[in-house]
Amino acid sequence: MDMKRDYYEDVQLFSSGVKLFWFILLILFLALYPLLFKNYYVYVANYIAINVLVAIGLNLLVGYTGQISLGHSGFFAIGAFGTIVLMTEAHFPFLLALFAAALVTAVFGFLIGLPALRLEGPYLSIATLGFGLSITRIIGRIELFGGRQGLHAPELVIGPWHLNSDRDFYYLLITITVILTLAARNLVKTKVGRAFVAIRDADIAAQTMGVNLMYYKTLAFALSAFYTGLAGGLYAFVLRFIEPELFSLLMSILFLAMVVVGGLGSIFGAIAGAVLLSWLDLELRNILSIPYLGAWLEVLSRSYFSITGVSNIQYILYGFIMVLIMLFEPLGIFGLWIRTKIYWRTWPF
Amino acid sequence: MKRKGICITSLVSALLLALSFSATAEEGVTDTTIRIGQWGPQTGPAAPWGAVARGTGVYFQMINDEGGINGRKIDYRMFDDAYNPAKTKAGVKELQEGIGIFGWASGVGTACGLSVKDYLMERKIPWVGPAAGSLHWISPPQKYLFAVYPLYYSEAQILTKYAVSTLGKKRVAIAYQNDDYGKNGVAGAEKQLAKQGLKLVAQVPVEVADTDMKPHIMQLRKAEADAVLLWVGPVHAARIVGTGAAMQFQPQWMSTSTCSDFPFMFSLTKGLWKNVIVANFGELPDSTAPLMQKYKKAHEKYAAKDERWGVFFYAGFGFVEPMVEGLKRTGRDLTRERFVKEMEGIRNFKGIFGTIDYAPYEPSDVYSRQGQKEVFLTQCMEDAKAKRLTDWMEPD
Repeated sequence: MDMKRDYYEDVQLFSSGVKLFWFILLILFLALYPLLFKNYYVYVANYIAINVLVAIGLNLLVGYTGQISLGHSGFFAIGAFGTIVLMTEAHFPFLLALFAAALVTAVFGFLIGLPALRLEGPYLSIATLGFGLSITRIIGRIELFGGRQGLHAPELVIGPWHLNSDRDFYYLLITITVILTLAARNLVKTKVGRAFVAIRDADIAAQTMGVNLMYYKTLAFALSAFYTGLAGGLYAFVLRFIEPELFSLLMSILFLAMVVVGGLGSIFGAIAGAVLLSWLDLELRNILSIPYLGAWLEVLSRSYFSITGVSNIQYILYGFIMVLIMLFEPLGIFGLWIRTKIYWRTWPF
Repeated sequence: MKRKGICITSLVSALLLALSFSATAEEGVTDTTIRIGQWGPQTGPAAPWGAVARGTGVYFQMINDEGGINGRKIDYRMFDDAYNPAKTKAGVKELQEGIGIFGWASGVGTACGLSVKDYLMERKIPWVGPAAGSLHWISPPQKYLFAVYPLYYSEAQILTKYAVSTLGKKRVAIAYQNDDYGKNGVAGAEKQLAKQGLKLVAQVPVEVADTDMKPHIMQLRKAEADAVLLWVGPVHAARIVGTGAAMQFQPQWMSTSTCSDFPFMFSLTKGLWKNVIVANFGELPDSTAPLMQKYKKAHEKYAAKDERWGVFFYAGFGFVEPMVEGLKRTGRDLTRERFVKEMEGIRNFKGIFGTIDYAPYEPSDVYSRQGQKEVFLTQCMEDAKAKRLTDWMEPD
């Protein structure tokens, strides 16, 4: 049962042997994944893993601390450009460049966290939106970052390994993702995590209880930016070419959608949301090759839509799925999971 | 026992035979088909350029109905990447590794193309005619990548030369998009002016997100420019010309092939595009050239009913013509290596674009992989009609 008898039971990583078993099974699956699936699906997995990192980072901020951000593509861009520039200009090795760029991003996160002390809700979302939009403009004007022409990612070498294929990169990416996921899972169980939740639920009450708002709010921003910056640095190597235009407002909104659809305030939700939405983002393109349905949609589009209407069906469906999830389960995929769990626990009653 | 032995022998030999066949056949080529792929934005901000990929589809359909190429029909696989490089890469990988593509045709977007360039080149997969005039494709030249679109750099040289030598303009300025495209324009114009002992009187950068063009016009007016090159996208070009007219600043505006769709530009500027001179990389929409007439018939026959016969659409034919020519020359025994060799042999090939020439691969010679070098100039007249000012021209 879920009843906790002491503090250590609450903070332990795996509350039961069953959970540990499933976790080990998941790790095994992730390790074997590139051997089981085609290279294309390895690329898809890489793309998803990047989004999982961002969603976890963003969930720390939005879901746990209750601070909204519409500017995460800006942090993502800083991480991506920072990593490449540190490698090509300062000749840092990859991992060092990646973490250094993520730390720089965290500093930016801290700075954005400062106005967040005074702003809330819609006002904070506008402030972060401004940050996200302006950062790509600034990067586009700096020659060091390749201006608007963008940057090529250099060769990726760690010690004796050349990680230039999707498969090789996959193992690095998954290792980082698993470690950071566990780190986030641990963090939310500690004093810091509880402070975040206290701020989210009632910041005045939290302050009264002795939670330092300034410290924890800026920390939430910095941590979230760190995760996102790290993901950005990795993204540069998944794509191997980046330019400022990539890091658009739409990207920020997609990140936020992942967290909300997945379930606010849950690591599992962030992962589920990121997996579902990034998978749909890449795969809905193939909707027209589904037998019968594809042909029917094509006829529908030719009779009622414009020439490119048929391609837009993927977005209509994308939005429709999001609306459905939010309509029937405001807690997102995490909520669905909880309901399923409860249903089976009390089955057949 | 004996029968079992025969069974095994025949099975093994059948297997070996099958293996030997699959080893000789090139990826994406069967006895009756050649599989060719293309990406193009059908959705998102760049959707108008999606007509290129649809144009190629109609072109291939026409070729297939005429009997295909050397007895093989083209199996064309196009996908929508929404101008998002992450999706371009996903789609290319999925098709390439899923069903196998012989070669890639055209493809809109510099960033989209650059995200898959290394992937295709490492695997020695031919790619012909990226739909952007970027230096990225040919510097350094790649053995399996054949550029068609003339360089924006050359367009700037030719327009500048025309302004100075034919129109007698002395004070040439440029308003350029602050990116690869715009900077190529600045470099080309500067080089041509230097040859004629002149300099640009103003270089005004335009950011993609700029909406108010007054500061830009002020700068141009202060420099007393009498000819202004517009190395920006269609929307900014329209805004600049519009703001210029409102501020009574009307030099000779000149622009690139990106803004050469006169009916579109004319309606966008509500008629102010009149008198603007642009460079063209392909025949005009109302051209009477036999090939254009033929393509127009194909458009009427195969294209969707609301598909406009515009520059982007038939550019989808033009970018791919050299590829089709290369496939024809290669003959029945189609391999990627033989195809590249035949592409290298193309000289003075003329379709609906300018003359195309390639040369054997030479890492130091960018023109060994730059097919088209020439453009011609037209001026926009009343009712968006085009007046042809020059014949096909190459930069000096």
